[in-house]
Amino acid sequence: MAISTEDVTSGITKVIVGGRLDIDGAAALDLQMNVIAASQKAVLVDLRDVSYLGSMGLRSLVAPARAIKSRGGKMVLLGPNEFVGKVLKASGVDALIPVHYELQSALDALQ
Amino acid sequence: MNLNCMGETPNQLALRGVLSEIARIPLWINSLASGYAIPDDVQLAINLCLEEVVSNVIRHGYCGEANRSVLIRFSNPRERYFVFTVEDEAPHFDPLIAPELPEISPRESIRIGGQGIRFLRRFTDALEYEPTPIGNRLSMGFSAGTSESPENA
Repeated sequence: MAISTEDVTSGITKVIVGGRLDIDGAAALDLQMNVIAASQKAVLVDLRDVSYLGSMGLRSLVAPARAIKSRGGKMVLLGPNEFVGKVLKASGVDALIPVHYELQSALDALQ
Repeated sequence: MNLNCMGETPNQLALRGVLSEIARIPLWINSLASGYAIPDDVQLAINLCLEEVVSNVIRHGYCGEANRSVLIRFSNPRERYFVFTVEDEAPHFDPLIAPELPEISPRESIRIGGQGIRFLRRFTDALEYEPTPIGNRLSMGFSAGTSESPENA
């Protein structure tokens, strides 16, 4: 699981995730997202390089999204592949965290 | 029959009753994939469903008893069709008649395995359950034609 962050523009933090969001990947993501969720208000999680998403990975996305929202912020997801998109849809997480397939629309949603 | 006595073969995986064992599942699926030509998308669906089933057994069926085992068997009854059967020693539980939990709501916390039944119904092509004298046996069929079946939705 590869995770990196960058400040995009206008206070938006982009979290780039790569690999498998399984039990180990989720644990790694938790560490970074806990810090980000406590300090940032506009977060874009780039899932374009995520190959697998399970329940544990879902939790690593939903928990920070709720935390950010509780502080008046927003979080969006970018570019899940077909399988990851199906998992987000089947679990209903796509209704909680907006999913975008174009970078600009994801950034616009955070303005 | 004690699952702890079952030998491990290439078509069979025995897991201890701790969540960290789930990390062995994708490695095993990958080892089967090349020999049986399991497509990538089907591998992902298999991984997702096995992860859910096994985590539910460990968390809810075994309640932290690490000395219990979960046995997963693989078979390839016909071309492009793969069956994974999970056997456990937990109290009887038929996921096929269990109601799906509501989709995640803004206030609900996510539990590991909480989406299991929904995922099983959406990502398998066939499901078969039977109780055993010591626990449960759940068989999941996956077709290489599709990794998400509307029939089980």
